[in-house]
Amino acid sequence: MPKLPSIHIGKLSFLLAILVWLALLFVDLVRLFGKINNMDAGIAQEFTWILEALFFLMIYFFYQYRIAKDSKNDFLELIWRAASTGIFATGVYVLIQIFYFLLGDTKLAQDPFLRNFFYHVHFALISIFIISTSLIWRSLILYQKTKQVVKQWQTYELILLSCLFFVFFQPISFDYPFLFVLAITILMAVVLSVNLKWIPYLTFKEKWKTLLFLFFILLCASLLFVQTNRFLSSTEMYPINLMDNLFLISLFFFTIIYAFFSFLVTLFNLPTSSVFEQKLTEAINFQRLSQSIKPEENEEQVLDILLDSCMSASYADGAWLEVYTELENGIAQVRFLDQKSKKELVALIEQNQLRQNWLAEKMADHMQPLSLKIDHPKYLTALIVPIVVNKSLIGQLVLFKEVRDGFNKEMVNIISTFARQASIAVENHRLLNQAVKNERYQEELKIAQRVQKSLLPSKLDHDEAFEICAYSNAADEVGGDYYDTFQLDEHRFVIIIGDVSGKGTSAAFHMSQMKGIFHSLIQLNLSPSEFMIRANAALSRCLERNHFITASIFIIDTQKKSFCHARAGHVPALLYQNQVKKAEYLGIDGLGLGILRNIQYENHVEEKTFPFQGGDLLVLFTDGIVEAKNQQHQQFGFERIRSLVEKHQTQHPRELQTILVDALHEFVGGDGMIDDDYSTVIVKFT
Amino acid sequence: MLSLEIIEENPHHILKLNGEIDASNSVELDESMRKMIDDGAQSILVDGTHLHYISSAGLGVFMSYLEDFQEEGIRFIIYGLSPSVWEVFKILGLDQLISIKPDKETVIKEI
Repeated sequence: MPKLPSIHIGKLSFLLAILVWLALLFVDLVRLFGKINNMDAGIAQEFTWILEALFFLMIYFFYQYRIAKDSKNDFLELIWRAASTGIFATGVYVLIQIFYFLLGDTKLAQDPFLRNFFYHVHFALISIFIISTSLIWRSLILYQKTKQVVKQWQTYELILLSCLFFVFFQPISFDYPFLFVLAITILMAVVLSVNLKWIPYLTFKEKWKTLLFLFFILLCASLLFVQTNRFLSSTEMYPINLMDNLFLISLFFFTIIYAFFSFLVTLFNLPTSSVFEQKLTEAINFQRLSQSIKPEENEEQVLDILLDSCMSASYADGAWLEVYTELENGIAQVRFLDQKSKKELVALIEQNQLRQNWLAEKMADHMQPLSLKIDHPKYLTALIVPIVVNKSLIGQLVLFKEVRDGFNKEMVNIISTFARQASIAVENHRLLNQAVKNERYQEELKIAQRVQKSLLPSKLDHDEAFEICAYSNAADEVGGDYYDTFQLDEHRFVIIIGDVSGKGTSAAFHMSQMKGIFHSLIQLNLSPSEFMIRANAALSRCLERNHFITASIFIIDTQKKSFCHARAGHVPALLYQNQVKKAEYLGIDGLGLGILRNIQYENHVEEKTFPFQGGDLLVLFTDGIVEAKNQQHQQFGFERIRSLVEKHQTQHPRELQTILVDALHEFVGGDGMIDDDYSTVIVKFT
Repeated sequence: MLSLEIIEENPHHILKLNGEIDASNSVELDESMRKMIDDGAQSILVDGTHLHYISSAGLGVFMSYLEDFQEEGIRFIIYGLSPSVWEVFKILGLDQLISIKPDKETVIKEI
């Protein structure tokens, strides 16, 4: 289906209006020609009326479209549009009069056709002025409309529409039916004209302009309409009276009445306009304050708005705003005060007894603004407004006026509301910043957690001579527990478990150092005690003075069926011997790494070789398990671990590990947190 | 929960520990130790009778002063530890570096 070109209502109605007007002109001139030459042109009066009604409708559509299009225009511009149309119409009328005045008594001046042409121009301009102004009034009446007003307006429009065709039924004007309908339309115009809600929104200056424009509209409308009567005098010259239309007359009254009402109401609203403006500013300031500030912006902007709002709300002559920072009482903002008078005022306020009492009350969140009389040559009143954020006084706002008792109750109320609003905004801003910061830390910790997880081996070295499993859990996001394995050669495997003193991030860093040391030293094929000596020497250079690391190392020889073990301050490992069905802690001497940071350490570490058999278990763990406490502050302890291992020694290492961890959690209690890192490595020899 | 008390009992400085020492309050222990050394204490006795628990962070504090004691010839003795706390010292091997006595009488007698 071919797409219809979209109809441009504005252009179309404009074009049609011109065409209709030309047709009207033509018809009337033909009729005049007939009349002068005593011929009946055969054109009925109704034909003119139809064209006239069409002309009105076209103008109506055109302006309705234009005004709807620019509906966002402000009131002043709308009224100016009406006034300018009126001035233009009047101007054209005046020009025509001047033209005739200049012609004097020439033949051209008497020419009925020229007169008739100007009459039609005059008619068109009046129609445009009246109809466009009415439509502007309509948009003003329907500002902040209610359902009732809309209904009233629709009724009025319907009546006007019927007025368009009134002339067909009642050609004689100003008889009773005519006057009756006119009275109805005038009455409706009066009823509609009380809708003047737009006026209070004008500023003081705008009101003056509005008054001027309305005056022009009234003047032009009266002038033009009075002048039309002059045309009516001669039916010889003008065979048909175009102005004598109920529609046009009704709209004329409507235009006049609404303009008159608006004029009066605007005039009487002039004195109170400053109050309304004030309230509007306050509302806008509230809105600005309550909009929470973005994290990257600063609090100063809020305080800036607060100071300006309070000053305008109280008509203050000077003010400053100070915020107590950690360093000093920083004065953030000063308004309309020079350095000298500010110093004087600060001194005056500091000394004021009332203020000292007020500050002494100390209940920050119940503080009310304080009004003071001050003894200063220029400023006579001060108002101190506390700024309370999170129940603590973060600053104060001080306003000054050059009159006594300058701050009335309304001002103090509005100012304290402003201050509260600003406090909320500042508080929100701080919370938001905090939240953003916290989120970033959380993110960082998650990364640390991931990195640390990767430091623990995902695959544990072993052969068919033993099975091995390991588990580690950090109390915080990251922890200081460490375990690792290494295959020295075909039959020899190293297992290490370690625990960094403290927990959390610092422990995690040391744990990664431990891993580095383990992997570099273990390649040297050292014996366990030698490994510990070297590790101690290395760690002594990296650890802070009050940090140490405990570790246990095992070198398992699956061929010789034995393991060599050294312990550096670590909790002893548990060895379950299948032959005797008993578990025993491997208590050998050994000092933690990083405690003795000299050669003396050699004397404090020993190593020992233990044989193993199939079915034996080696259970390694960190002190987090031993020291885990229950609600009664009892420790999990070595004995519980031993009996658990003895009881479940037949289990696969992974199951034994699950049993251990479950038992630990059960011991600590339902939601009791184990507040230390804990790890376990279980080896089962086959 | 930890409360610390320094009693000057010439020629000794006695540090009484009451409660538990963990990562959160090991700083207080450190401050007390530092204070005694700055006071010029020549003999520091730590009364651990009412010490219920000590974490590795607490042990780290004692450990960090061992060198200072050695260099400045300060006598440092811990006494009255409960078995579980003593066990912690023992496992770490600190019993080899710090002289740990069962009670105050023993300490006084030996000196």
